[in-house]
Amino acid sequence: MIKIILLFVSCYLLVVASAHAATPTPVDTIQEIRDRLITNIASRVAQLKLVEKRGIIGKVTNSTNTQVTITDFQNNTRFVDVDELTKFSSPNAKGVFGISDISKNSSIGVLGLYNKESRRILARFVNVITIPTIIHGGVSAIDNENFTINITTEEGKPMIVNVENITRTFSYTKDDGYGRSGFSKIKANYNIIVGGVLDKDSENRLTATRIIFFPEIPVSPKVNSLLNKVNESSK
Amino acid sequence: MKTEKFILSIIAVVFGLLVAGVAFYIFQATKTVQNSNTKTVSFTSPTPTPIPSIFLTVNQPKDEEVVGNKILVVSGKTSSNALITVITDSSEEVITPSGNGDFSTTVNLDEDQNILEIIAIAPNGESIMIKKTVTYSQEEF
Repeated sequence: MIKIILLFVSCYLLVVASAHAATPTPVDTIQEIRDRLITNIASRVAQLKLVEKRGIIGKVTNSTNTQVTITDFQNNTRFVDVDELTKFSSPNAKGVFGISDISKNSSIGVLGLYNKESRRILARFVNVITIPTIIHGGVSAIDNENFTINITTEEGKPMIVNVENITRTFSYTKDDGYGRSGFSKIKANYNIIVGGVLDKDSENRLTATRIIFFPEIPVSPKVNSLLNKVNESSK
Repeated sequence: MKTEKFILSIIAVVFGLLVAGVAFYIFQATKTVQNSNTKTVSFTSPTPTPIPSIFLTVNQPKDEEVVGNKILVVSGKTSSNALITVITDSSEEVITPSGNGDFSTTVNLDEDQNILEIIAIAPNGESIMIKKTVTYSQEEF
């Protein structure tokens, strides 16, 4: 009988001791909260570092209901995810504009959250834009009657530039600095930068909005050799 | 009896393989290739790309950066005798770097995406261009 009682008492003591050990003390609770906070902060910091706001521009190569694929300036393929929060706009759109209105080969600007790990951007704003073209090269010929300038670019591409009323022309010299100039001041073999909009029908024709020329700087040796070839072939 | 048959068949297979291998080796060793069937491949060393006399690094802004201020600082380093042209969608500027080649200027940004083209032109006409996309936005998301 005594044995049974002793067995019960020892069992009771064991249960009480283990229960006491399992009950968290105030020190344990504080430690737990601290650990949880550290984990949450670390996770949030990692999340913030992993995702950042970015704005990219590119040409659409493919478009579905949830994703737009574009090619950026460096010819990289970029994946743009779209969701119900993504807003679309286009300067030419008359009514509601959405992802289905984005056509292949159109240029778009995307503002969204870029994930550094997945290298995808979750778009918040998608705008259809017109990318201005800027060319740099040497003047190969000037047509004073039609107000056009023939330019050979650094890449060796021949371009015809239309000078319109809207075209702003500037020149830079050491003495006079940077200032307004005119079409009549542009001479052959000048180093020139032209900004404008490409002609829809011809890839080699540009309507200039801005012209900057440098009378004191010769055309680059690369362009110079190309210009010589052009001159020889025209003789 | 069965074990003997099995061992014999393995020996026969190994012997057959050996004979076939030796025959193939002899055939390959004695084979002559006619001159008309051979091609002479000559490797020409590639033409070295000329090293440009000018360099350009742009420290600010970062490409694809989103900013909340309309005035943007553009800074970097180039050859001290170069000219720097900074062209945005709506403005253009020509500046000269300091004696050690450092340059810095400010440009006004338009709403949304802006394309910045920074062109360094050397006195001999050589040039380098760096293109950056900077977005001006005050949207919270």
